[in-house]
Amino acid sequence: MKMKPTLILTISMIMLLMTACGKKHDNTVKIAQQYGLAYAPIQIMKEKGFLEEALPNNKIEWVKLSNTAAIREAVLADNLDVGFMGIPPFLIALDNGMEWKMMTGLSSCPIGLVTYDDNIKTLKDFTSKDKIALPQPGSIQHILLAMACERELGKADALDNQLVSMKHPDGFQALTAKQDIKAHFTSPPYLFEELANEDNHMVITGEEAMGSEFTFIAGACTEDFYTNNKKEYSALIEAINKSIEFMINNEDETLDILSNLYEMDKEKLKGYLNYEGMKYATDIQGVDKFVDFMVRNNYLNKSYKSEEVIWE
Amino acid sequence: MKKLYIRRFLWIGFFIIIWEVTYYSNVYARQIFPSIEQIIKSLGISLTKGDLLMQIGFSFIIILKGLLIGIVLSVLLSFFDYFFKNFSSLLDTIIGILHPIPGIALLPLVIIWFGVGEKAILVIIVHSVLWPMTINMKTGFRSVDNEYIEVSKNFGMNIWQIFYYVLIPLSLLHIVSGLKIGWSRAWRALISSEMVFGAIGPFGGLGWFIFEKRVYMDTPGTYAGLVVIIIIGMIMEDFIFGRLEKKCEEILL
Repeated sequence: MKMKPTLILTISMIMLLMTACGKKHDNTVKIAQQYGLAYAPIQIMKEKGFLEEALPNNKIEWVKLSNTAAIREAVLADNLDVGFMGIPPFLIALDNGMEWKMMTGLSSCPIGLVTYDDNIKTLKDFTSKDKIALPQPGSIQHILLAMACERELGKADALDNQLVSMKHPDGFQALTAKQDIKAHFTSPPYLFEELANEDNHMVITGEEAMGSEFTFIAGACTEDFYTNNKKEYSALIEAINKSIEFMINNEDETLDILSNLYEMDKEKLKGYLNYEGMKYATDIQGVDKFVDFMVRNNYLNKSYKSEEVIWE
Repeated sequence: MKKLYIRRFLWIGFFIIIWEVTYYSNVYARQIFPSIEQIIKSLGISLTKGDLLMQIGFSFIIILKGLLIGIVLSVLLSFFDYFFKNFSSLLDTIIGILHPIPGIALLPLVIIWFGVGEKAILVIIVHSVLWPMTINMKTGFRSVDNEYIEVSKNFGMNIWQIFYYVLIPLSLLHIVSGLKIGWSRAWRALISSEMVFGAIGPFGGLGWFIFEKRVYMDTPGTYAGLVVIIIIGMIMEDFIFGRLEKKCEEILL
């Protein structure tokens, strides 16, 4: 029986691992966001301590994750209570059996497909060799591009084989390097920086792709959090409202905080925040349109009504 | 040999049982912890209906290309390293600087210099395999007994002949173990770069397969991709490198 010690060791290791990542039941509220100007109200809320003020008996933890898949996995593993992301990746998770709904909108902003190639004026001008960078398949950028393809080229996946999945900063660099990335579907501040370069121009905006306004980033939480943490839930909604109001009423202080956090020039940032289409609001727009399109093109298995995807 | 396989299968069986127990205990959400059955089913579907076979092939070919370039370069570097003192100190410096840098950390630079095509991924793979293989080969050459070299010089061999007939055969075991390290480094480089910046080539390799499954939240598919990597790794370890090592030992005896 030489195997015995190793066996015991292995079993205890596994048990240790299981307890380490098991369910958490304490007062912590864990909130995840990603990078970019679309998350400005969260930054303000964090900096001004609005949520901590409303929930003095809770510990608030802020996490920055670089993609929606990581946020979803963390929520599933019970390491996160609230995650902020675009509507399509939220829907994909819901469709795969994740028990969660959206709790609030956060921002709408101009997003779009930028290229340096003067010959590319519409989607029809892309040749099969032109590569397009965007964050990942199933992201809001990808779904918007697919919507535009369906309308203009007759096929939602017409450009899918030319996609290269890249984080915004990498995509920005790749477009600037003018190597094999012809276009980049991105959001602020990368979009603004790219458009500030005279060589670049916009092929299609997010709104043109969608055909109407839509919420870019929304916050979602699990059923468990919604039903068992009512106080925390409403405190968070209130804090977001408070942050957005603060941004409107205290422009100078907002610019101070954000220019520090994003390491950006204040004047430049002011221009960005006042850019047409840059809007911070808690209502959620465009869900039905996303659902219809995603069901029609098999990104989702079944259709959802508004009340099935938004709490209350 | 047989005993080794029996033990290995026993361990794999043991892990499968633990896995299933964990699955049915519902500690983790089903969406992040699928059952073995779901994983195998997903693997079957991807193999028969999807691009998986092509993606495995793509990964394989690009890795072989990277390894081949890596081998040629490391043989050259080690040759000059052995016979030229000045070059040796230069190479040591270069290895000291570049070897610790993970391929992924070079990605932003590689994108700017080489774009995002096959060339870029090859650069990352070659970077990941070249340094460990060179270090191994150098060690192999240096461990060759100096007497053999002196004897060959007395026979009037030039450095190329010494290199080819004496150094290479006598350090074969080091070279094979360098190859083994290179092989696993190449996989890591390919998979992680595809997971960081997406498909390379028309349909991507295994890394892209895993990434795509993950973003569409097809968790059994994500695990299926990992299973493929494990199986390929085991096959290579047992059948290719294992045999290669044995052959080398026979030659040396």
